[in-house]
Amino acid sequence: MSIVANDLADMATRAESEIAAAADEAALDALRVRYVGRREGEITKALKTLPSLPAAERPAFGAAANAARERIESALERRGGELRASALERDIAGAAADLTLPPRRVRVGRYHPISRTIREITRIFAGMGFEAVEGPEVEWDYYNFEALNIPPGHPARDKFSTLWVNAEGSMEVALAATGTGGRAVAEPSRRQPMLLRTHTSPMQIRVMEQRRPPVRVVVPGRCYRFEATDATHESVFFQYEGLAIDEQLSMADLKGVLYSFARQIFGSERKVRFRPDYFPFTEPSAEIAFDCFVCDGSGTTNAGRCATCGGSGWIEAAGCGMVHPEALRRVGYDPSQVQGFAFGGGVERLAMLLTGTPDIRLFHQNDLRYLESV
Amino acid sequence: MPSLKVPVSWLRDYVDVSVSSDEIAERLHMAGMEVDHVERTWDWDKIWVARITALERHPNADKLLLATVDYGDGRTRQVVTGAPNLAVGAIVPYAEVGAAYKDAHNDGTMAVLEPKKMRGIMSEGMVMSALELGIGPDHEGILLLDPQAPVGARLRDVLGETVIQFEIAPNRPDALSLTGIAREAAAILGTPYRAPAMEPLPHRLDPSLLVVRIEDDDACPRFTAAYLTGVRMGTSPAWMQQRLIAAGMRPISNVVDITNYVMLEIGQPLHAYDAERLRGRALVARLARAGEAVRTLDGVDRILRASDLVIADEERVLGLAGIMGGEDSEIREGTTEVALEAASFEPRRTRRTTDAHGLGGSGGSAAARRFALDLSPELPPLGLARAVHLLRELAGATVVGAVDVYPRPRQVPNVKLRFSDIGRVLGAEVGRDEAVDALRRLGFAYAELGDQLVVTPPAIRTDIGIPEDIVEEVARIVGYDTIPTRLPTGVLPLHERHPLERMRERVRDALVGFGLQETISYALIDEAWLRRLTPDGSPLAPEPLRVTNPTSAQQEIVRPTLRASLLDTASRNMKHRKGLAIFEIDPVYLPRPGDLPEERWTVGVVLCGLAEPVREGETWLTPERVFEVSDLQGVIDGLHRATRSGRGTPEVGAPGLHPGRSWRLVDGARDAVVAGQLDPRVAEMWELPPATFVAEVDLALLLASVRPNAALTPPRYPAAWRDLAFVVDDATAWRDVETDIRAAGAKGGLEDVALRDLYRGAQVPAGKKSFAVRLTFRSPAGTLSDADVDRAVAKIEARLLHRFGATIRAS
Ligand SMILES: [Zn+2]
Repeated sequence: MSIVANDLADMATRAESEIAAAADEAALDALRVRYVGRREGEITKALKTLPSLPAAERPAFGAAANAARERIESALERRGGELRASALERDIAGAAADLTLPPRRVRVGRYHPISRTIREITRIFAGMGFEAVEGPEVEWDYYNFEALNIPPGHPARDKFSTLWVNAEGSMEVALAATGTGGRAVAEPSRRQPMLLRTHTSPMQIRVMEQRRPPVRVVVPGRCYRFEATDATHESVFFQYEGLAIDEQLSMADLKGVLYSFARQIFGSERKVRFRPDYFPFTEPSAEIAFDCFVCDGSGTTNAGRCATCGGSGWIEAAGCGMVHPEALRRVGYDPSQVQGFAFGGGVERLAMLLTGTPDIRLFHQNDLRYLESV
Repeated sequence: MPSLKVPVSWLRDYVDVSVSSDEIAERLHMAGMEVDHVERTWDWDKIWVARITALERHPNADKLLLATVDYGDGRTRQVVTGAPNLAVGAIVPYAEVGAAYKDAHNDGTMAVLEPKKMRGIMSEGMVMSALELGIGPDHEGILLLDPQAPVGARLRDVLGETVIQFEIAPNRPDALSLTGIAREAAAILGTPYRAPAMEPLPHRLDPSLLVVRIEDDDACPRFTAAYLTGVRMGTSPAWMQQRLIAAGMRPISNVVDITNYVMLEIGQPLHAYDAERLRGRALVARLARAGEAVRTLDGVDRILRASDLVIADEERVLGLAGIMGGEDSEIREGTTEVALEAASFEPRRTRRTTDAHGLGGSGGSAAARRFALDLSPELPPLGLARAVHLLRELAGATVVGAVDVYPRPRQVPNVKLRFSDIGRVLGAEVGRDEAVDALRRLGFAYAELGDQLVVTPPAIRTDIGIPEDIVEEVARIVGYDTIPTRLPTGVLPLHERHPLERMRERVRDALVGFGLQETISYALIDEAWLRRLTPDGSPLAPEPLRVTNPTSAQQEIVRPTLRASLLDTASRNMKHRKGLAIFEIDPVYLPRPGDLPEERWTVGVVLCGLAEPVREGETWLTPERVFEVSDLQGVIDGLHRATRSGRGTPEVGAPGLHPGRSWRLVDGARDAVVAGQLDPRVAEMWELPPATFVAEVDLALLLASVRPNAALTPPRYPAAWRDLAFVVDDATAWRDVETDIRAAGAKGGLEDVALRDLYRGAQVPAGKKSFAVRLTFRSPAGTLSDADVDRAVAKIEARLLHRFGATIRAS
């Protein structure tokens, strides 16, 4: 080996010891530039002398330069690894954060319990093939009442204390308020007075008018009643309506759909009760209730009478029934070919139960302290 | 729904109730007779019918006795009592320890019986007075029960009046009576129904005594009447008074009480006239004539409408038919001759007249409430015969004659169906025998013709007309709980949810994701709110829809804007917090002539007060910062990015908002977005801080501006970056600068422009500002060389100089 090549080895040895002594990444970087830098590094400079060497020495010199470079680079890598490792160790050994300090908080957005409940309802019914559709809140008397077998003067109108709307240029609604009951009764002077729908059932008619069987829809939406407001009653509230029409549908299918719904919402251990009821637009009609999940249907809790179910042990969930043949005929369906069922229930009722909300008025008050708690 | 109170002891007159009151209530409820509640004097839970088996003097007290009671199944107890009226063998109420009772020594407040030593001897319970039971004032002695009462029975099953309150469906006026409920109970229990005693009525009447005439047989299809003499007015017997009270009516006199009793019992309202006061000895059902008036029993003088059906004599109106009688012809003390009316009236006319004269509702006329329903015309003769029977027995009356005017008898329908219809509708196998048995129990007549069934309902049922009605009747009796449950099979109807509704849910998710709280407010608002949306009160929205009969002035307007509701929500919440970020997605209602209003789905946003820290006062990491207009811009921008929507160029300024810090994005003739800082004068009106920001987004326009999904494959070649700072006039809008940079850099591979800094101050001349931007370059074809990028930057610099006179500060 030539003297020059020995010099290279010495340089590598020197570099190795300097690298091993490098105190930090910056010192290491400086050594990297000094010894193996592409432009001005010692190895590069040495190689630049190569052409001036006698041809016979060149291979040995080149090999020595490469060996020196490899030694230096591996020393750099080793030391770099050591420095990183010790930096990590220092960091790990460093002061612990006080994790009990308040965090950097994110703003948490929340759904209103009503919209959350409506989503849950439509999700469950979607799983049973019911498409969610919506319809107008301001409605004609025809869809809200007449098409549902509730002509003017029908006693069933008593159940639906109606808010009437007087749109400019549309129609006159003569009102005669009763002296004692406070209920106003409309005497329509035109065929179609306008009102705020008292239930989502008008959509039964609208959907059937627009579609041919088979039909399976669920209709969530806002409804209105002339009603004094208290902890369980609101003048503005939400309902969900269901409608299924096909060639072979029966009360058993209706029962199955609502049983499934009740259990998906309130748990599979819920018992469900089905009893006769009356609606002018279904025949036969029924009411579905499930056993109270607060008192397990007993009607009493440790605190006495169960407040959730009023002591009956049952929570009424929905009114329902087989669509009245007259309603089918009215929309051009042939009741001898198709039949179906309909159901309707209150969204707030479910939302109150799901969120433990004690007073229906909280939903519309929008006190953020309440909304952030549910 | 019409309600009916049914005392169970009264019900037992017509049907043997072999089960407990609770059970019959439950079974009636489950068969469709909705039970609102069952009420009792009180529960009498631990009070029994007991016999006194031994009686001896208390060894330590003269006035006390030791009574041994047997209360069945060999259970005996010794109680200490001071009652003077006890004897061995007496049947008495015995209260166990733990029973609730009225404490006679403590003003009758409820107490729970505890074991008590009286003069050294333990009393294991108590024998009870009427006062202690809460059924009367008597506390002189123990209540002595019927000697036949079964020892060991619960007292409530022997003595306690249980009243079941029903809510009867409006299509079942036949069930709105004691006998109606009894018929249902008999059908459910499968036991016979016993009709009450009726007087056979002579079908003739001397016209010199009474003439009955119907002038409008649509309004009055049937009019029956009886003429009675020798009536002795007085009070009704105690049992009748008690039943009336239990059923919620007030006893008045024997004749009035009988008409009320029969109304409750049979379901047919009746009216009794003093026959000697009928001019022309006539009862005429006719429409009122112009100008006629009557003073009704409540003392009100009523001007009649031509559509009001009245009962008149030959000269004047006597009363509103089926609603309320008149003062003139009313029976009174001394009346001996009575004309008794039992008639049918058309329900809708009755309802209109009732409402027009303010006699509806629970405080109005009980008869009118019944006549508003479709009462069967078969009821009047039944009610009349029953009332005459009671008048003879309880008021000494003799019936002289009766008349029945029924010009066009109503046909009872025959309903044809197939047995298979029952299974088809119910989805349940109901046996043929089971089905006809249910109908038989309900009193339906039927004929079987092969698979065909022809059914005739009882004449008093007016709710039966189609096969489905018959199916329901069968199902009610068989029990809805026997219907199986299954899920519908068949082809799934496939429809997509309406795109607008899908968009709405995406927007809801996005805004919740941004950290905003969703609110839902009343769709009906106060008109005054609409005048508080602009500094001068001028309207923001078109003339709104109005509720003609609002529950209150605060809910009169069908809202044409979400803004008022959102500001109200913000205002109420800002009374107890320093910042909020809320949104609501709901329709606004915009009137259209001659049609339903447009229900325009709108997204409303309010940012107000402190933006940070999220938790009030927690400034250790995050200094306090109030919302700025850029926060609202961020929400709208985020909404657009989350839904890949948005188009057009906003204009500065919008009504009700700060003229220089608001914008509107017009799309066609409509505002797609209106947003900005609330006009501070408006904010003041709502007691909101100046830092209040509002946005309204038209959901349909947002949907219309959605761009198609363009999936991006991550680029293959690396990007190059350059920073650039330049000085422009202060008035220069960033948007213009950005647009020009993008245009100039497009060919050179400019991918993005980000604003790094905006600087005004000592480093730049007055009236100028400096923008610092980071430019990102990338080519889809390969790695860009430094020279390529330098060329692109030079082009951009040249454009900035040319368009804005920009001075380049650094690059
Ligand atoms: Zn409960």
